[in-house]
Amino acid sequence: MASIPRFMRNLLDRPGSANIGAYRRLAAQADGHEERIRALTELPRPRMDDLAEFCAIAREAAHRTLDMRPFDVQLVGALALLNGQVAEMATGEGKTLSGAIAAAGYALRGRRVHVMSVNDYLARRDAEWMGPLYEALGVSVGWIGQSSTREERREAYAKDVTYAPVSEIGFDVLRDRVATSPADLVVPEPSVALIDEADSVLVDEARVPLVLAGAADPGVDAPEAAVLVRRLSRGYHYELDDQGRNVFLTAKGTDAVEKALGGINLYESLDVLTQVNLALHAHALLTRDVDYLVRDGRIHLVNQSRGRVATLQRWPDGLQAAVEAKEALPASETGEILDSITIQGLIRRYPQICGMTGTAVAVEEQLREFYELKVAVIPSNKPCVRVDEPDRVYRTMADKERALAEEITRVHATGRPILVGTLDVSESERLADDLKAAGLDCVVLNAKNDAEEAAIIARAGERSAITVSTQMAGRGTDIRLGEGVAELGGLYVIGSGRHASSRLDDQLRGRAGRQGDPGGSVFLVSLEDALITQFAPEEPLPPAAGEDGLVRHKRAAYVVGHAQRVAEGTHLDIHRNTWRYTRLLERQRDLVLERRNKVLHGDAGAEALAAAAPERWAELTGEVGEAVLGEAARQIVLYHLDRCWTEHLGFMSDVREGIHLRALGHRLSPLDEFHREGVAAYRRLLEEVEKRSIEMFEGATITAEGLDALESGLKRPTATWTYLVQENPFGDAFDRALRRLSPRAKRRQDLDD
Amino acid sequence: MLTAITRAFRTPDLRNKLLFTLGIIVLFRLGSVLPTPGVNTVNVQQCLKEAQAGDAANIYGMVQLFSGGALLKLSVFALGIMPYITSSIILQLLTVVIPRLEALKKEGQSGTAKITQYTRYLTIGLAVLQSTAFVALARTGQLFPNCRQPLLVNNDVFTVVTMVVVMTAGTSVIMWLGELVTDRGVGNGMSILIFTQVIAVFPSELLNIFRQNAFTFVIVMLVGVFMIAAVVFVEQAQRRVPVQYAKRMVGRRMYGGTSTYIPLKVNQAGIIPVIFASSLLYLPQLLVSLFGNSENPGPIVQWLAQNFVRGDHPVYMVTFFVLIIFFTYFYVSITFNPVEVADNMKKYGGFIPGIRPGRPTAEYLNYVLMRLTAPGSLYLGLISMVPIIALVVAGASQNFPFGGTSILIMVGVGLDTVKQIESQLQQRNYEGFLK
Repeated sequence: MASIPRFMRNLLDRPGSANIGAYRRLAAQADGHEERIRALTELPRPRMDDLAEFCAIAREAAHRTLDMRPFDVQLVGALALLNGQVAEMATGEGKTLSGAIAAAGYALRGRRVHVMSVNDYLARRDAEWMGPLYEALGVSVGWIGQSSTREERREAYAKDVTYAPVSEIGFDVLRDRVATSPADLVVPEPSVALIDEADSVLVDEARVPLVLAGAADPGVDAPEAAVLVRRLSRGYHYELDDQGRNVFLTAKGTDAVEKALGGINLYESLDVLTQVNLALHAHALLTRDVDYLVRDGRIHLVNQSRGRVATLQRWPDGLQAAVEAKEALPASETGEILDSITIQGLIRRYPQICGMTGTAVAVEEQLREFYELKVAVIPSNKPCVRVDEPDRVYRTMADKERALAEEITRVHATGRPILVGTLDVSESERLADDLKAAGLDCVVLNAKNDAEEAAIIARAGERSAITVSTQMAGRGTDIRLGEGVAELGGLYVIGSGRHASSRLDDQLRGRAGRQGDPGGSVFLVSLEDALITQFAPEEPLPPAAGEDGLVRHKRAAYVVGHAQRVAEGTHLDIHRNTWRYTRLLERQRDLVLERRNKVLHGDAGAEALAAAAPERWAELTGEVGEAVLGEAARQIVLYHLDRCWTEHLGFMSDVREGIHLRALGHRLSPLDEFHREGVAAYRRLLEEVEKRSIEMFEGATITAEGLDALESGLKRPTATWTYLVQENPFGDAFDRALRRLSPRAKRRQDLDD
Repeated sequence: MLTAITRAFRTPDLRNKLLFTLGIIVLFRLGSVLPTPGVNTVNVQQCLKEAQAGDAANIYGMVQLFSGGALLKLSVFALGIMPYITSSIILQLLTVVIPRLEALKKEGQSGTAKITQYTRYLTIGLAVLQSTAFVALARTGQLFPNCRQPLLVNNDVFTVVTMVVVMTAGTSVIMWLGELVTDRGVGNGMSILIFTQVIAVFPSELLNIFRQNAFTFVIVMLVGVFMIAAVVFVEQAQRRVPVQYAKRMVGRRMYGGTSTYIPLKVNQAGIIPVIFASSLLYLPQLLVSLFGNSENPGPIVQWLAQNFVRGDHPVYMVTFFVLIIFFTYFYVSITFNPVEVADNMKKYGGFIPGIRPGRPTAEYLNYVLMRLTAPGSLYLGLISMVPIIALVVAGASQNFPFGGTSILIMVGVGLDTVKQIESQLQQRNYEGFLK
């Protein structure tokens, strides 16, 4: 019964946390090998059965090639990664090096490693920076960026270790899934995924599916609706819900719209109503410079969780067009969704997953639930001496902004560098203007390109620097302290409000106090912040503040914490729902792909058509020959598989939209109902593919040159592009709707969970 | 349904879930017949037999039904799943009243986990109270007032404390078993355990009837099967009110037809109205048993004793029926709030084709619901009357096993569980569809 101690340990351990004792011992053993390895002129190729020796060799290689000698804790981190865990390492502890050592370790075990980062800049920087280390260990390395060509990608994927932004890998997978010739495939069989900024990728980004779209029709202009809704007034014609996420017409508004459109009944004309609703959403809920920017005649979405322009994101098509109409821009081409994959679906293709980040413990539960990952907390090399002050809570926004300016002026006078983290782009600009008006020089960081950002943030530790940034600006870059700054108390981080997740707060705080440097942080919060008005609107507010607007009552901290916990809970629910509802589709997709691969790589298509229409087949074989006909059959079946899948996706997203209503007839779980619909639709999908393929085959024009696609009606999208769907503004309404429904439904949901 | 279950047994992980659930049920039944230490089992059996043949058989029957026969046997699981259900209902009500709990609930998973923890504490509290009261009744002989045998082996404080501790511990084990079923088995743990309690008394009762008269047994079985079929039929019946969402540009639809609708069930109220009505009709019986023995009962008690104690009295029957209809409407109106549903649809861009969101939608829903509830309430009333009618017509034994309440519980939980198994099967069994 040797498993009893282990059982007890599992029982007592916090779920999801890993024991790092063994790694520490290995790292200590590595010290023993150090002398011997250092004396060698040429490093041996590490044998992966002795991890201590591997660590020693990797350490020496890093020392010789990069002039960095990894600390023990960095080796501990690498070992946790090699054991398939998520390593939590504080900012500035050298995650990049730990990751590279682990990636090399996997590669030496004969695995192919994809190191996934959050953006192009980091993928390229890390691959090039760590290149010499890999070379010394005999491991090849490559990287992929947004602008890499197909050839470059294929070359990079052929290396032992490939650095790439997670979205690029996802898009490559998506493109491969609609390839019509085996020669077009790019991505190799998945093996090991090593994820940088794991919490951001696995949890925050996981709410947003990656989408492959194809151009269908030119966009629909809806300027009339845009003009129409501009005349409506809030509170009279339309209202917003409590959380400001949804907008709807009042009876008076409906009257006004119906009259303006010539006396139609709005609720009998779905298309018109949809346009009006979308125009109203664009008009009332999306604010220029907060939710999107207009630049070069195009709409650029701002990613709220990163505070930067999300070049690849679009709103669902109707909404995108409505926003374009609102800004009087020409409608961009609309697309239809050909295929999509969630980050979760992408990552779980890999048999081995590991990751690293500065803030993993807070999402321990989710990493365990969604990815079966454990978190290993790696101690920092030197203890953190940063001083985190308690939040200062102000009654009004104006009080907070005044206090913020005062605090900056006060600290700036001492010469201490300041990093201000703001919540959105417009706030950062407003603050910068205020500071400039007050005669303070500051650098603003928002929505610029990653490389430039990294360079700016690297200078934020200079004496007297004031840097105003949005949330995630420059993640992955260290702020080194300038000369004499340590004596002043190091970098001072001020948050202009708590984020929707405590992890983002911690990331911001973590900018100061790297590697035992001194530093400080404080958050200034107002009770009028969006976090509180959106997520804790009904909480009684603490009693009146003092002269300066500062609320000293202890209830203030509770309200702020509560609002943040509600926000976190909401996001977790969205994540869980996304996952539950996409799991079925991804399973179906896998099955369709299995079939598709048989057609793509084999003769499954030809065999099926030959069996279904033997006469036609025999006739055509005589005319054009077996080979040409086989290829034509392949193209026909592939086309219909893809076409029907697209329609299936469209149908299922329609179903999902209203599935929560099923909870009203009690005893019906919306998820089960969704599955029921999904399974039935899937059966029809396969029948439909077969039926349409045979139909097209019977009528197709097939000559010696092959299938005449146009004549036969095989029209693939003229262009495909990839994007991330902006967190669907309607999609999470689903969840809220579910919660608001009858108490019985609520109770059932609770019980079912 | 049978094919679903055989298919489920062929799917390995589903088979494990089913076997796990069955294992839990076996454990649960074992605890329900296992006597608590300190109980004189022979005497308890004796008293139980007398009680079931006596005047108050109706009440004892009900108690037996809801505890799966465990309560009056004074077994380890005597209290059954009821304390857990009661405390989760209490906490749900408190969530509405106490702001702190409401705030916790809003915090999502972490908050709900805390509330679940409070529910468990409250369950233990209730279990201590109930088991103490219950053991005290047994000790003083009030549990079976007409039976003079001592129910406990002795009246030591130590024995009493042991019994209370054991029953309380039993209740926490039941709670745990229920949660295990929800987590790793099929269906909802609480419902499965209630289901078990309800059907547990069937075999012995049917056997009783069979021993008395084989012909009656056949009639009872036929009526039972017919009733189950009827209940399944009505429970599945629903009116689908179509809903459209006008928030996205609708793409080409491949399959046509709408799959977005509000399913309004004919029996939207479920079983609750029957429980309400029968508990209300308990009151007169209780009053009579409290005051009826005195030398000179007042006119009210006399009147009650005449009309409300015997279940086959016309006044009792009519009152029962009317109460059920009343509570059906009442319960539907508190659980399905058309105004709230209409409001919700309005906010997220949904509407019933041709009907404006907001008030007109609420009125329409209310209209449909009221019309549906009419046959629904009649159905509930009739089903609940069946045992009483059977009593009058056939002169069958008091304990007609297919009572309205038990059939409704049985069919409800049964349908739920089978549906869940089916949906899990569907998610797994794709192989068949793929060539």
